[in-house]
Amino acid sequence: MEDDDENPVAFSKSIVADYFDQADLTFKQMDEYLEKQDLKNISKLGHFLKGSSATLGLTKLKDSCEKLQHYGDRLDEAGHNRVSDSQVSLRNCKKTIEQARREFKEVEDILQPFYQDD
Amino acid sequence: MEANSGGGGATGSSDFVRKLYKMLENPADNTVVRWGLDGESFVVLDTDVFTKQILPKHFKHSNFASFVRQLNKYDFHKVRHNNEDSAHSPYGPRAWEFKHPDFKANNKDALENIRRKAPAPRKAPTTQEDSIPTQQMDMMNTQLVATQQQLVTLQELYNDLRGQNNMLTHEVLGLQKAVINHEHVMENVMAFLNTVDSQRRRDSRLVTPFPANGHDTTTEQQRIAPAEDDAPASPLQHAAKLLSETNADQTFNVRALEHLNEQSIRLNHTLTTPPPDIAARARPSSRQAPNSASSAGSMRMSELDSLVYPVGPNNGIDPMFEAHIHNIPYTVPPTRESENGQIRKKNNFPDPGWVRQPRILLVEDDPTCRRIGSKFLYNFQCHVDCAFDGMEAVTKVQSNSKYDLVLMDIIMPNLDGISACSHIRRIDNTPVIAMTSNIRSDDIAMYFQHGMNDVLPKPFTKDGLHSILVKHLAHLKGDPRGLQAPGAQQAIKDDEPPTKSPVTAANWHSPNQMPGVSPVGAGPQLVEEYHALPTMPGQLMQGPLVSYGGLPAQQGPMPGMQYAPTTGAVPPQMQLQAKSLQPQMQHRRKISELSSAPEDAQGVDAKRPRMLPQVSQPQPVPQPQGVQQVQQQQQAQQVVLQQQHLAQRQQMQPPTPTHPPAGGMGFGQ
Repeated sequence: MEDDDENPVAFSKSIVADYFDQADLTFKQMDEYLEKQDLKNISKLGHFLKGSSATLGLTKLKDSCEKLQHYGDRLDEAGHNRVSDSQVSLRNCKKTIEQARREFKEVEDILQPFYQDD
Repeated sequence: MEANSGGGGATGSSDFVRKLYKMLENPADNTVVRWGLDGESFVVLDTDVFTKQILPKHFKHSNFASFVRQLNKYDFHKVRHNNEDSAHSPYGPRAWEFKHPDFKANNKDALENIRRKAPAPRKAPTTQEDSIPTQQMDMMNTQLVATQQQLVTLQELYNDLRGQNNMLTHEVLGLQKAVINHEHVMENVMAFLNTVDSQRRRDSRLVTPFPANGHDTTTEQQRIAPAEDDAPASPLQHAAKLLSETNADQTFNVRALEHLNEQSIRLNHTLTTPPPDIAARARPSSRQAPNSASSAGSMRMSELDSLVYPVGPNNGIDPMFEAHIHNIPYTVPPTRESENGQIRKKNNFPDPGWVRQPRILLVEDDPTCRRIGSKFLYNFQCHVDCAFDGMEAVTKVQSNSKYDLVLMDIIMPNLDGISACSHIRRIDNTPVIAMTSNIRSDDIAMYFQHGMNDVLPKPFTKDGLHSILVKHLAHLKGDPRGLQAPGAQQAIKDDEPPTKSPVTAANWHSPNQMPGVSPVGAGPQLVEEYHALPTMPGQLMQGPLVSYGGLPAQQGPMPGMQYAPTTGAVPPQMQLQAKSLQPQMQHRRKISELSSAPEDAQGVDAKRPRMLPQVSQPQPVPQPQGVQQVQQQQQAQQVVLQQQHLAQRQQMQPPTPTHPPAGGMGFGQ
């Protein structure tokens, strides 16, 4: 572990790489839950991805995840008011997942040069 | 899918590498992907077609970026063509060529040597800055919001004080006028008495060489034998002397007041007319200083006014108690962070100089946070143990309760951080730090309520984590300066030893301890306001002042304030409500209401937040007269206003758990 100190890049690289894998997986799971109309788990995944996105400083993605978390909790975007129609919540989730995916792709593209070689 | 492809390493070459090789063996795809000219590399000629057609066939996904990442993990490298070469790139400008020393067209055996890289292989340092500044920005933003919140609060307090000061100044000026008038009256009376006195003496001696002259006692004294004159005139002389003395005193006061008044005029832009007498008597010497001082004051004021404070619904920290500034749960690095940050990022922290290696339990379900967190901790020379969720954390603490600190995520699968902390509290008193992005004031109050000792807001920086360590592990440090990082200086500079800080956490309450409001005295009034206040929900929510200490036993006088009203007046209603609840709940409720022992917070656990809110639900006002009285008093006395603030703050606590924070605290799990 101490070796990491001399290799901060390698460390952050591996962290980011793991994050990408994790996010890939999370998006897949989100799709599955969307299919099953499982709002609660979508919210959980939103929270999960929010944490790691925030840790890496990916704020846009973090914000989308937060929204997703609220939508999954059957709340409105800011998490203040309840949304009574679960179909509305599902639609919101779907929309936000797509948005998060786009943002994720953006991040991937930006960080790609950082990854493809040394 | 990547997990699958990476897993085959044990039985020779890994899935991914075999698939890769197999993909290249298919001559049909030659136009898209094929071996390089020398068979030492492979080339993706057309990334679009490759992504859409080849990738799904072999790797069950169509994500080129993911593919490249995977290659990187197996230590493939993109073959670079520098500028002049790229024109001559044998495969075309858009081709991607990848290479691994053991990945060759005719050497299938060597594939076994291609392994997933260790988590952190060494590479030349270049671009760590890419990710960290944003992270720091986030942190800075959080700090900014917290600071702004503090400013808002200070501003409010300032306005209150300004109002009071204004009032006092007015009052004093009025008194001043009265005194001056009295003085004039006295002067007149003296003059008159003098006249009468001299008249009387002249009459008595039948000497009338001069017209009556009240002021000229001295000339009279010269003409008349002193021994005879002194007696009748001495009361008057004495009075005159007294008058002149008080006069001098007043001169002094006037100066100070003048100063004060001028300031208040300038600050408030409200005119308090200075008494004409004062203006007439203006002391030249006192003019200069007040002017300069007050103009400085007005400058400051206008600066303050021109600032805009965005008020967020969260992050409120009560800055009123001075100790808080050094005890902010947002581990706020000082402002110079931006300068120092650049340098420090490169250099590692110096040896922290622990007496022994601290054992930290990091509880976090998110691998990214977990890795970064443990890396920081390793850098601080700590021994790190990780737990995936609250369940594992409790088990680990149970089996090995030798941790010096627990860093606890809040929202986790299986068992959330709050419940986990409650469990841990039954085992021992290891400091538990909530590590979360849910840092709304009500969330934070709840963390403290369940026995947590501090909050480290996510995402956190190295400095942030560091100051938490310094704060809570001070007893493990030989030389406090050893580990001192700019981010931690505040904690150390603070006069009180950082070890105290868990206790000082109780100070989060102290804003309530307004001067002059004794717990006992405030009690009855608070009760009334409990009823009166729910009609002002807007104010409740706005109030950025929140008490943070959730540990009743540590609050000194606070439990009296917090619980006395409830026990004193509310129980009848509470018990009524309790009847509609399950019996065991009722039992617990009583405990939590009637005692303020710290165990309550843990014992009642998750159920407590659901019960307390009822106190604050709008209820029929049982004592309208009392309320009116209070309201009248409030209008009459600004001091009472403070109490109202205070009651609002009290009010903030009970309702908090009614709206579980956005993330849902996971009680239901």
